[in-house]
Amino acid sequence: MDADRPASMAGRSPLRETLVAWSFALPFLLLFVVFMAGPIAAALVTSFTDLRVTDIRNPFSVNFVALENYLDVLGDERFQKAAANTTVFVVVGVPLTMALGLAAAVGLNQGVVRFRTIFRVGFYLPVVTSIVAIAVVWRLLLGAEVGLVNGILAGFGVDGPGWLSDERYALWSIIAMAAWRNLGFLMVIFLAGLQTIPGDLYEAAEVDGANRWQRFRGITLPLMRPTLLFGAVITGIGYVQFLEEVYVMTEGGPLNSTLSLALYAYDQFSFGNYGYTAAIAFILFVAIALLTIVQFRLFRTET
Amino acid sequence: MRTGRRAGAVMLALTMTAALAACGRGEEDAGGDSGGDASTPASQAPEVDTGAASGEVTVWAMGAEGENLGVLADAFMEENPDITVEVTPVPFDAAHDRIVSAIAGGEGPDVTQIGTTWMGEFAALGGLDPTPSNIDPSGFFEGAWDTTVVDGTSYGVPWYVETRLLYYKTDLAEAGGVTEPPATWDDLTALAAAMQEAGAEYGINLQPGGTGAWQTYMPFFWQAGGEIMDDSGAFTLDGEACVAALTYYDSFFEEELTATAGGDVPLEGQFANGDVGSFISGPWMIGIVTDAGAEPDTWTVAHQPTEEAGTSFVGGSNLGVLSDSDNKEAAWAFIEYLSQPEVQVTWYETVSDLPSIQSAWEDEALAGDELLAAFGDQLSDAKAPPAIATWEEVAAEIDAVIEQVTVGDASPEDGCATMQEAADAIGTGS
Repeated sequence: MDADRPASMAGRSPLRETLVAWSFALPFLLLFVVFMAGPIAAALVTSFTDLRVTDIRNPFSVNFVALENYLDVLGDERFQKAAANTTVFVVVGVPLTMALGLAAAVGLNQGVVRFRTIFRVGFYLPVVTSIVAIAVVWRLLLGAEVGLVNGILAGFGVDGPGWLSDERYALWSIIAMAAWRNLGFLMVIFLAGLQTIPGDLYEAAEVDGANRWQRFRGITLPLMRPTLLFGAVITGIGYVQFLEEVYVMTEGGPLNSTLSLALYAYDQFSFGNYGYTAAIAFILFVAIALLTIVQFRLFRTET
Repeated sequence: MRTGRRAGAVMLALTMTAALAACGRGEEDAGGDSGGDASTPASQAPEVDTGAASGEVTVWAMGAEGENLGVLADAFMEENPDITVEVTPVPFDAAHDRIVSAIAGGEGPDVTQIGTTWMGEFAALGGLDPTPSNIDPSGFFEGAWDTTVVDGTSYGVPWYVETRLLYYKTDLAEAGGVTEPPATWDDLTALAAAMQEAGAEYGINLQPGGTGAWQTYMPFFWQAGGEIMDDSGAFTLDGEACVAALTYYDSFFEEELTATAGGDVPLEGQFANGDVGSFISGPWMIGIVTDAGAEPDTWTVAHQPTEEAGTSFVGGSNLGVLSDSDNKEAAWAFIEYLSQPEVQVTWYETVSDLPSIQSAWEDEALAGDELLAAFGDQLSDAKAPPAIATWEEVAAEIDAVIEQVTVGDASPEDGCATMQEAADAIGTGS
């Protein structure tokens, strides 16, 4: 390390340097400890207690219940249903969104030349629109009786189902909406990734007689790996915590078919079961960490 | 760096131990009976000298009440020049959490509007001042007064009330050969079937689960002789009354007299044009149905059907004084003012909130209206759920069971057992 140090720094004492470094880090550190680490530690402690809303005037007069909250959460049928729904949402939703995002990016990068900006804006617009506004509009689109989707289907003589009121379709409808909303963000990320791939690689492959699909599989996908990983991780983290869509559109119904883990936690919080909610939050945290690890393994660059 | 990290870990461990060591509930709050024990009168705090009150009173009120309470506050200040009333409107969605925060932080208004089903929770929080004996409970509707009583002590005053009646299309009913309002459950089923026969798509609209479905279900449960809790404060949701009520409720879905999915067309429109023959709801629907274009002589409201009883649900809002208020005299003086029959009539004329004081109903503004008089009549036979801290959570379980029975394939027997089990697991929070 010493060898790399610029000559001008050589005269300063290491202690002074450390102090300067800490003073730069301090503003962040203070904010982090007060607003992040502190509350997280408090939530962790809370998750081992039976704290309820009725205790908040004397938050220390609660009982320590060890792992009871965690066991109760894991044993609750509604939690299991929410976990299953969330798993489906992530396992189907993340690849779907990524595939659509990648298709849009590749299309805009190569095929579409005219109106490229309009397409880009069009795909990106849902990302910057409030999710609540989108959910309200989609709820109207997907309405069983006067919804636009069923109105169009009726034009073809098809009697459309209750997209949000039938438990067989509700979760899938919401996955479709989430994929549509989020593909724009991935498209922008993937477009940037595509632009880093040198054009001469494609030329060389073309000379060797590789067709479009072979070029995509042999060049685009491998070189996009880090970008795809980023997209998968960001989308995955977001999707594990999906809440607003179902909060606005279905309230978790019908028959809990769209109940997500985050909505389950939200409900428990509003019932005032703070210890129990904290346990759900930490289970969710572990789930996100595990998912991210899996994704890192999946997209690991082969060496 | 190594030592730094270790010191941090030790610090964290110390704080956590300190926090945990301080934990543990006191013995005094264990047990105790909760729930409305109607036989013994609720205890009240000693009289507060509201006559000499002065100073400032801050009031939180929600929705239309928050927007219009200034009218009454101005009139009050004219009568009591020493007191200044400051009204802050709070959105209904945020009100519950804001009041909880206010109670937790000790920084809140002096007076707040409280949804009747929140009383148990706020009282258990220790956030509400017991009602002083200046307020006479006998003037209020009994069901409404009971919502203020938590563990035998009253913590507020009913402000306005609402109850649920059967709205039905008289033109459709007559076309189907029914001329009398339904007196029993069989009559109600017959009415719905007759209206469907006469051209309605659905004879009745009942909520197939979802938030608040319990408010439609619970009257049937009471009508079958059920009680939510017994005198010892234990839940009694399961039983013959529950099976009877759930079976009856489900029968409308089984016989396709009501839709199994909440539609995306507003109910009032469907009612106005005769697609839906009847529904059960509160007084606010009078205006909504009229605005939707239902001709006044084509529909009416009727008392709940009677089996063992003809009980309905009573809701509304109470007024309470926060225990951290530093001007309780003036706060109760304002509540006393709002509880006067004349003021309640003025309030009805301002925002159409129904008076919680029985004598206010003798005023021509209310007694002269046939539809309103029906609500007044039902209010004397209306009940509220017990004021327990966990009611909202228990209610959500009941909503879920109703959905499992009506939309899903659970049997009423299983549904009742599930309700009971879930409620027992949740407990009363005391």
